[in-house]
Amino acid sequence: MRGKQVIKLTVNGEPYEVEVEPHMTLLEVLRDKLNLTGTKGSCGVGECGTCTVLVDGKPFLSCLTLAITVRDKNILTIEGLARDKKLHILQKAFLEHGAVQCGFCTPAMLLTAKALLDENPNPTREEIREYISGVLCRCTGYVKIIEAIMSAAEEIRRRGSEYE
Amino acid sequence: MVRVLTPFEYFEPKTVEEASNLLRDYGEKVRVLAGGVDLLARIRRREIQVEGLVCIQRIPGLDYVRQDSEGLKIGALTTLRTLERSQEVRENYRLLFDAIHSIHSIQVKNMGTAVGNLCIATPASDVAVSLLALDAQMKIAGPSSERSMPLENFYLGVKRTALQPGELVTGILVPPLPKGSFGAFMKLVRTATDIAKVNVAVRATLRNGGCEEVRIALGSVAPTIVRARKAEEALRGTRLEREAVVEAAERAAEEVNPITDIRSTAEYRREMVKVLTRRAVEKIKVEAGVKG
Repeated sequence: MRGKQVIKLTVNGEPYEVEVEPHMTLLEVLRDKLNLTGTKGSCGVGECGTCTVLVDGKPFLSCLTLAITVRDKNILTIEGLARDKKLHILQKAFLEHGAVQCGFCTPAMLLTAKALLDENPNPTREEIREYISGVLCRCTGYVKIIEAIMSAAEEIRRRGSEYE
Repeated sequence: MVRVLTPFEYFEPKTVEEASNLLRDYGEKVRVLAGGVDLLARIRRREIQVEGLVCIQRIPGLDYVRQDSEGLKIGALTTLRTLERSQEVRENYRLLFDAIHSIHSIQVKNMGTAVGNLCIATPASDVAVSLLALDAQMKIAGPSSERSMPLENFYLGVKRTALQPGELVTGILVPPLPKGSFGAFMKLVRTATDIAKVNVAVRATLRNGGCEEVRIALGSVAPTIVRARKAEEALRGTRLEREAVVEAAERAAEEVNPITDIRSTAEYRREMVKVLTRRAVEKIKVEAGVKG
């Protein structure tokens, strides 16, 4: 198939119908068609991880994912992390620990951290370091990011919920 | 903002046969899209030009990892992450687990497939080096027939494989490991997420303290991944004494044909082949409890 066609996407629980061409990436569709500009784009070749979104719960590089290939899948972007105007505990922890500097990697860091905690609610420092290593923090603020994730993990375990 | 991908035609076959026919009909104008990590990055960098992509993601029955009497079976759509999380891989094919675990981006492992990684045909592949040491076989389907081929024969050069027009890899078979098998994977990298300057996978079968069989696979030191056969000979039949290990490491360094590029010089790579080969065998000795 060539040329434009309409596909169905589920983003942050909302169904969308979007007209795409086969070579359009998920990143382009999110930012340019759905106006969800929280997801950042940078290197375009899988080095920096800043375009990370969750596809069926797993961190994917949206700049290297063709939109057409993720039709019918559940996509979570940073815009969908807070619920009912309540921040996710990871988001609160990032604020409290000063884990946000320039903010460019923050959406990708938060979503990657969410996937980690969904998989492993009680990670070690080393496991966190490994899991987030595909997302480059240009400010090199990793220490506070790791501390924020450690603290959020504990909070989520204590509450038994990702939201306050 | 990043450059856009150049437009291409998109095919989504529902069966391996359909995919194979498309590959035969369109030849070098099209590429197979599995995880897409490497392929789409190369299209974006304008390293390759494609007129079409044959997306195999929706072909049923290609996403599996299972172990039976024939060995470990991996499908064409099985991601690196699925393998990393597989108990069979972690417990019974540690060498493969260690190679995958050394790849640091969770995003790349969620998207990228083991078969795709092999089909890129880069001599730097950690996965390929470990699978070469494990005597892996490639399962290949063509328009009218299927065949299998040792991974060792799969590579013809940098980014060149032995696949014929219309053929695609449908899976990997890793034979069962003999009793007394030990393995070690090592690589030298500048940063955790970079491509290896040199990588090595060694697998040895030890019986009564003696080295009965051994494979030494090396990456990033020749146009394809390679086996260091003379180094293997230096170890076979020994008790992995220090002298034998040093001799094997020296031979391995003589057997490779590295180049100088942005990551390393040829001389440095050759020297590091020696170091990593020695360390990998020493690691096996420690694990196996071989003294000396």
